[in-house]
Amino acid sequence: MNTTVQGWGVWLALSAACLGTYTCRALGVKLSGHIDSESEIFRWVAAVTYAMVAALTVRMLLMPLGLLATVPMLLRILMCVVSLAVMVSRPTRRMGPALLIGTLLMLGYGVVRTA
Amino acid sequence: MSVPRFTNRRAAFWAGIHDAVGAPVLVLFAGMVGFGAMGRTHGFDAWMTGLTSLLMFALPGQVVMLEMLISGSSFLAIAFAVSLTSARFVTMVVTLFPQLHRRDRNRGLYLWVHLLAMTAWSMSMREFPHMAAKHRLSYFIGLGLPCWLIAMPGTVLGYFVAGWVPDAVTLALVFINPLFFLLTFTEVRPWANRIAIGLGCVLGPLFYVWDADSSLLATGLVAGTIGYVVDRRWLRPAPVEVQP
Repeated sequence: MNTTVQGWGVWLALSAACLGTYTCRALGVKLSGHIDSESEIFRWVAAVTYAMVAALTVRMLLMPLGLLATVPMLLRILMCVVSLAVMVSRPTRRMGPALLIGTLLMLGYGVVRTA
Repeated sequence: MSVPRFTNRRAAFWAGIHDAVGAPVLVLFAGMVGFGAMGRTHGFDAWMTGLTSLLMFALPGQVVMLEMLISGSSFLAIAFAVSLTSARFVTMVVTLFPQLHRRDRNRGLYLWVHLLAMTAWSMSMREFPHMAAKHRLSYFIGLGLPCWLIAMPGTVLGYFVAGWVPDAVTLALVFINPLFFLLTFTEVRPWANRIAIGLGCVLGPLFYVWDADSSLLATGLVAGTIGYVVDRRWLRPAPVEVQP
C-alpha cells in the first residue's frame, strides 16, 4: 500500500477544485436567463471539455499510475474494445451490460493472475 | 405541451426518485465506488476522498484532481484544469434550467444546481418536454437527490473495500471509471465533440510525453478547437438539434 498522500497542498487543491466546480454550476444558473445555449462560445467550450476528458481517459487506460499499471497494456486495450463492441452492438443504450462485461473481464484477469 | 402528467409537485418528485433508482443511481454508485478504490490505491486519505464526492460531485473533475495531485501538479494548475473540466456544467445548466417554471427560477436554484450530474441532466432533458413546467423542478430534485446522496457512501465503501478485498476486485473497481468515460463517448452526438474526442485520444498521450503537467489543458485546447472549427467550417448543416 502506498503511503498516504497528505499535507495542506491536498486540502488546498480540494478546496480550490470544489470552488471551481461550484462556480461553474452557479455561473450556469446566473447565465441561464440571458445566454443562448446554442451560441458558438458554448459549442467551443463543450468541444474543449470533451477533448480533455478524452485525453484523461486514454491516459488512465494506457499510462495508468496505480494498480492498473500491473495489467499488460494489450489486455487493457482488448477489454476496452470488447466493452465498446457491446456498447455499440445495439442502437439502444447498453451502458449497463458494457460496463459489467469490462469490469468482469478485469476481475477475471485478476483472479487468473493470482491463481 | 402535452397533457399534465403529474397531479402535483409531490407526485413529480416521487416520479423523479423512481426514475433515478435504477440505471442512473447504479452507474453513479459504481463510478463512485471505483473512485473510492482509486483514492485508496493512490494513497489518499479516506476523508479527503469521500468529501471530494460530496462537495464536488463531478467524477471527471474528481479524477483529474486525483491524477494531477499524484503526478505533483501545482494547486493552481489543478484548480484551473478541474474548473475547465467542470465547464460543461455551465452549458448543461444553461440548456436545462430555462425549461423550469418561472416561479421556480429563483435563488433556490443555486442550491439545487449542486445535484446536477451528467445522468440527471440527460434524463431531465429527455423527460422535461413531457411534463408541465411547474412540475419540472420537483422531478429534477427527485432525480438528482438519490444520485448525490449515494455519492459519498459509494466512495467510502470503495475506499475501504479496496483495502481488504483481493487485488482482483480492487483492479476491477479501479477500471470502472476510465471504462465508463470511454463508453459514454459513444453516446456523444455533435460532430465537433466527436472530433474533439478522437483527437484528444491521439494527442493526449503525445502531449503527455512532451510535458505531463500541461498535457490535459493543451490537448483540450488544441483538439477541442480543431473539432469546433472543422465542424463549423465543413460539417455543420442547419442548426443542430440538442438531444441527449
